[in-house]
Amino acid sequence: MIMMQLTPELTRSADAATVPEPPKIEVRNLDFFYGKTQALTSVDLAMPAHAVTAIIGPSGCGKSTLLRAINRIYELYPDQRATGEIVIDGQNVLEPSYAPSKLRRCVGMVFQKPTPFATTIRKNVAFALSYYERLSKSELADRIEDALKQAALWDEVKDKLDASALSLSGGQQQRLCIARTLAVRPEIVLLDEPTSALDPISTAKIEELIHALRQRFTIVIVTHNMQQAARVSQRTAFFHLGELIEVGDTSQIFTNPHVRRTQDYITGRYG
Amino acid sequence: MPIRRRIADLAALLFATGATLFGLMWLVWILWTTVSEGAAAISPALVTQMTPPPGESGGLLNAFYGSAVMVMLALLIGTPVGVAAGTYLAEHGRHSRLAAVVGFINDILLSAPSIVIGLFVYELVVRPMGHFSGFAGAIALAMIHLPIVVRTTDEALRLVPNQMREAAFALGVPGWKVTAQILFKAAMSGIVTGVLLGLARIAGETAPLLFTALNNQFWSASLAQPLANVPVVIFQYAMSPYDEWHALAWAGALTLTAFVLGLNLLVRLLARRGNR
Repeated sequence: MIMMQLTPELTRSADAATVPEPPKIEVRNLDFFYGKTQALTSVDLAMPAHAVTAIIGPSGCGKSTLLRAINRIYELYPDQRATGEIVIDGQNVLEPSYAPSKLRRCVGMVFQKPTPFATTIRKNVAFALSYYERLSKSELADRIEDALKQAALWDEVKDKLDASALSLSGGQQQRLCIARTLAVRPEIVLLDEPTSALDPISTAKIEELIHALRQRFTIVIVTHNMQQAARVSQRTAFFHLGELIEVGDTSQIFTNPHVRRTQDYITGRYG
Repeated sequence: MPIRRRIADLAALLFATGATLFGLMWLVWILWTTVSEGAAAISPALVTQMTPPPGESGGLLNAFYGSAVMVMLALLIGTPVGVAAGTYLAEHGRHSRLAAVVGFINDILLSAPSIVIGLFVYELVVRPMGHFSGFAGAIALAMIHLPIVVRTTDEALRLVPNQMREAAFALGVPGWKVTAQILFKAAMSGIVTGVLLGLARIAGETAPLLFTALNNQFWSASLAQPLANVPVVIFQYAMSPYDEWHALAWAGALTLTAFVLGLNLLVRLLARRGNR
């Protein structure tokens, strides 16, 4: 049933995926540990540039863990560690000598719950931007406008840039977080269930946004929602119990999965 | 509802209400006594004249000045050190053994009897200097203020959700900037609350000042000299046999109570604003 409904969406996604792109991110033999608990086991996964890769799988399968490894945000917690390689543009970014700040500037991340900083809308966007670049007042204003436009939020906030970010609705807050991430001009954007805390209209807006952003960024999205994966992505990877079970073009994964476990999951037999 | 349950319910309600009223009664009584005894001695002279010798009229100007100066100096010493230490505990040392030890020692300092702190500063400052001084008093008050600020800063920062920390670090910005611009802003109302509660606490401390600032019947603006202050004046005047001194002690007690009450109201107001 689900697959039938998805078909029109899938043809569009499939067309987009036929354009060959070199991999932007290559995960090689990645193991991940929370203390003594292993959350990912020898994951090998290539993610193409200028495309959306969706990571799906049941709760606790390691989807979010994979994202948290790509920008090394897990390093905030000393008991978490990753072994293996994550190669971005030919460079293994898991090397301890590779500065996490350099990595995170190029790899932005948006989290499940909107996380506006307790300050104005303008300062939310300017925070990281003015750290990286020495900009004049008008340049800064232009970059903030640009980022908010890219996140499809400009029209709603242009008259109240100095209002508190906490006064925005949940969906607006999430788009503000996306604007804040895009403002520093990353190459990769990681989205960790970006719409799971939002209402359907806000979700639709963010999905449109993902479509528009694909041209300029490499996007990896973790989602619980299989319809969403089918709608927004060109490539889909299915994880189960910390292992990569299957990866392929989204149309193939959803219409003709090669592995039985993938088929069971997408047809709702477990998860 | 069966009759037995109804009786039990009524009894519990009566007991709880009675206990609340019993507790409140003392508070109201204290406030009432302070206001009725103190109000009589409130006059312009209170803030224009010095503490008098027995048998003459006077005010508490030198005591107010001394208390204000010592408390301010204590805040200036205790707040930056306390905020820095609390930040270390909550952010940088979060997973380290050293931070656990420091946090534990801070808790001991938090509950240390204030007279012990007074005695310690007496040995540390007063004896080497050879005389009591406002500096010594301010240092003793700062040592009481410090652990309060450390604890509240630590707790206010821990209340900042981890997601906000991760979101800020995910932008690639270094830790000091995340702390200074994002986490402090999110924890600000908690930190200010801690500083103000610490201020309310040290404003009324008497024991640590007995050994350090002592008292001064005359006007002295110098921190290097013994300095008059409201709590010690209240202590000495209340113990005296003179009626004029008793009245001034009550007036000082009333002012101090009103100040602490006002601070607590301000803290509530800030906390409410912070929660929005």
